Amino acid sequence: MILTSANTLENKRIKEYKGLVTGESLIGANIYKDLFSGVRDVVGGRTSRYEEEIKKARDIALESMKEKAKQLNANAIIGLKISYDNLGGTMGNTILITAYGTAVLYEEHEN
Amino acid sequence: MKIDKQRLGNLQKAFNVIAIGTLSGLAVYALFLYLNIAIFGWNLGLIFAPLAAGYVETILARRFIGEDIGAISAFILFLVTVAYGFIINNPTLGYNIITVGSIVIIIQAAIPTFINYFGIVVVVGTLSYLTGFFKKITDRLVHHIRKLMNKPENKIIDTIALFSETESNHLLNSQNFIYITSTDPKDLDYDILGFFYVTKMVERNNHLINLTPEKVEKEHLYDLKQAKDECLIRLADKIKESGGNGIVDLDILYFLNGIGGSEFQIVARGMGIKIKEVHLTF
Repeated sequence: MILTSANTLENKRIKEYKGLVTGESLIGANIYKDLFSGVRDVVGGRTSRYEEEIKKARDIALESMKEKAKQLNANAIIGLKISYDNLGGTMGNTILITAYGTAVLYEEHEN
Repeated sequence: MKIDKQRLGNLQKAFNVIAIGTLSGLAVYALFLYLNIAIFGWNLGLIFAPLAAGYVETILARRFIGEDIGAISAFILFLVTVAYGFIINNPTLGYNIITVGSIVIIIQAAIPTFINYFGIVVVVGTLSYLTGFFKKITDRLVHHIRKLMNKPENKIIDTIALFSETESNHLLNSQNFIYITSTDPKDLDYDILGFFYVTKMVERNNHLINLTPEKVEKEHLYDLKQAKDECLIRLADKIKESGGNGIVDLDILYFLNGIGGSEFQIVARGMGIKIKEVHLTF
């Protein structure tokens, strides 16, 4: 599965537009507990804990999107957009991560 | 050196002053004990001895050092009177929870900030964090108030609405309409119909009591997903009304809105298109 934010696929012909695929995930509630366990957060040295959580959530969104593309028999997603939105929650720690793009079926150029 | 000497001298004076203050406090306490000045068996020396000690100390400190030194002898007297009146020689109460409570209250009077911080923040905070005690209480309170007001409880309690990713996606892509997020699909021949825009507000669900934060989040996520689907379908309907059969440069945006972030806003927007001759296989 090729993921690209561009409009086209280099050296490939888009044979068919399959439609929209989306993926969403939300993080927040579990972050506090996890942050408590990380002493590094307090003593400094910018922790990767938060980044890890966000990465996990992004993976969930992307996987959900890819799964839908597979169901549409697509082999690439173009025009991919990923966004992170703060949805408030306790001290603004609820973050919605969305990924969406267009599922397409491509084939290699003949030449 | 001069300053150091002066400081040293002041320190010594301070020690002396504290000692005198403590002694006079003890003397007052002894007097109260000897004369047995008590209310309900509760010796008033507990109050007046520290007061006397602090008073004497402050007056002497102002006279000989020129500034307050914080009534340290009063604290000492507090500890002494508590130790003697409650622990060593306990004439009235005996040893029980009231004794402990009294000791805490008296020490709290002596060093309020520290004891309050320790008692409220550290002890209660730790206990409530470990047991979820306050959450349970407030949940129950809400439950009972609702019962009293004869309001039927919301049905979402402890259940999660169902949202099928597969179904949702199938629904979106089976309307004889094509959603395209990229800006300029070169492989398609199309006419542009204009800019289309649909928005929807989702109220933050505040009825999710008895749920863990994780479940509440899940519920919110489902709400958002459903609202997103609704937005996209309405967008497609709008474009179809204008004679289109697709959209390019589609954006789906989420915002936090309302008073105190009480609402989510979802926006779907893009350029409506009419694809001329294409085999749309859905």
